[in-house]
Amino acid sequence: MESRVDRVPVMNSRRRVLAALRREPVDRTPVCNPTSVATVELMDLVDAPFPEANRVPELMARLAATGYTELGFDSIMPVFTIIQESSALGCKIQWEQKDNWPTVKMREPIWHNVEDIRIPSDLLTHQDTRCVTEAIRILRQEFGDEVAIIGKTMGPWSLGYHCFGVEPFLLMSLDDPGKTKACLDRMKEVTIQFGLAQIEAGADALTLPDHATGDLVSGEYYARYLRDLHIEFAERLPVPLILHICGKTVDRMEYIAQTGMAAFHYDSKNDPTESMRIVHNRISLVGNINNPETLFSKGPEQVRREVYKNLDAGVQLVGPECAIPLQTTIENLKEIPKAVRDWHREKQ
Amino acid sequence: MARTVDIGERLELVPMDQHCRNISLALYRQQIDAGSQFVVHTYSGLEGARQRVEFVARAMGVLGGMDSSSRDPVRLWFPCHAQHKMAVRRIFLEACKLPSGETLMVRPLTILDKKSNRTITAASLGNGIYGLEADGDEEGKAGRISAVAGGLVKLGEMIPSSESAERIAFSCGQPHDSIIGLLLIRALNVRAVLREQEIVASRGILSAPSAQKE
Repeated sequence: MESRVDRVPVMNSRRRVLAALRREPVDRTPVCNPTSVATVELMDLVDAPFPEANRVPELMARLAATGYTELGFDSIMPVFTIIQESSALGCKIQWEQKDNWPTVKMREPIWHNVEDIRIPSDLLTHQDTRCVTEAIRILRQEFGDEVAIIGKTMGPWSLGYHCFGVEPFLLMSLDDPGKTKACLDRMKEVTIQFGLAQIEAGADALTLPDHATGDLVSGEYYARYLRDLHIEFAERLPVPLILHICGKTVDRMEYIAQTGMAAFHYDSKNDPTESMRIVHNRISLVGNINNPETLFSKGPEQVRREVYKNLDAGVQLVGPECAIPLQTTIENLKEIPKAVRDWHREKQ
Repeated sequence: MARTVDIGERLELVPMDQHCRNISLALYRQQIDAGSQFVVHTYSGLEGARQRVEFVARAMGVLGGMDSSSRDPVRLWFPCHAQHKMAVRRIFLEACKLPSGETLMVRPLTILDKKSNRTITAASLGNGIYGLEADGDEEGKAGRISAVAGGLVKLGEMIPSSESAERIAFSCGQPHDSIIGLLLIRALNVRAVLREQEIVASRGILSAPSAQKE
């Protein structure tokens, strides 16, 4: 594939990321992390360990900044977990320790019916949501316009898993589509409110994970339940949105490309060339560098190979496929921007 | 300015050291002309972190028979300058299990195997070759020795003898009594070691809500 970067003046990280999200020319492909790149070693470096770094704004901002200052990525993404707003909604959280992710105790659902869904008045002032907005404010103040700051607001399908439990929510979607749609419709307001609060705090873009994952939910399901909601998010949240769905998702990329979202954060189970062909320049792609096998278990050479595969396919933004394992080596993470720079040098 | 350092290939990581404020400790490998060298490192600047790293390096020196220089006490190497990747990872993990200040001793080449109720002994036969023996009656003895030898092969990346199930060797052709003494205790139950490794490796990987084990 031809380089898209000829004769583009040098950009700073923020401009580079935002241009790529709009599929405009860039001076080089941005290295972007729509999800966490925190590791235990980086936590030590800046003395901002989990779980505190998920609950204290100063620590969250400090740890997130290392993605830019230490790893050389073009973005900073401070929302490491997927549970911040679920905590504010009242879900029970297992906060874990430094070396593990907090999780929602989904066996103790907080909602069972449509009528149960109530957005608490303190949704945006709760410690775990306010931590995110405060961290974004700190980062914006510290870095100004030099680097893209990406927030995160969970989609209603993911919130459904957290608040109803995975099995009850999936069974409801099979047994009662009308009720499921009514639930999604109510929960979407959480996505909107938390997203708007982060934009107001200074986020340049938002990741929107909605875990209609390839293993449990079909492409047809995505079209039935989520496509229209995602179109609505793209209309109501006035920054570029990066949809995140794990797993093999080529069967729904056509629908995803119709949503008007800026980018799709896609999994390594999808071939970059095939994915680019399907989305056909209607949405940018980002991600695809494998986490468990490559970034976590292999070395820089393999990381470089995957980066090159994405760049050769014309993928607009390069980065890990999902939140990286907390024990990932710094060496492997630094290899991503190195490989991107080398690829562009080789193409010149 | 970036504060991370390029100190080679990370071979092993203890994400939370219970003996020093839950800091992470890592073992890095560097390739120099003479062979492999290993560096114990932490990114933590907490009080006591540096002393902890130095203790772990000192413990590795004793437990694994590794050399170091007084000028750079966190840098180690084997006298043979070989990599012995699996063995050095195990030496590091065992050193991290010790609290700072613990008396350091080379582990003996003899161990009581509770499973077979026998004393198992390893003896250096020269050129990096070790032979295993066990006391007690003959019934089941050969099988147990073979299993322990297999454990040492796995944990220390040693070479099994094609002639005798009781003999194993280091690829460098040099003796490493300290490594054998250290690994012997784990070789009695390799499955437990592998299980422990799997548990540690599985922590810190974020799963989609639908894939979470509740």
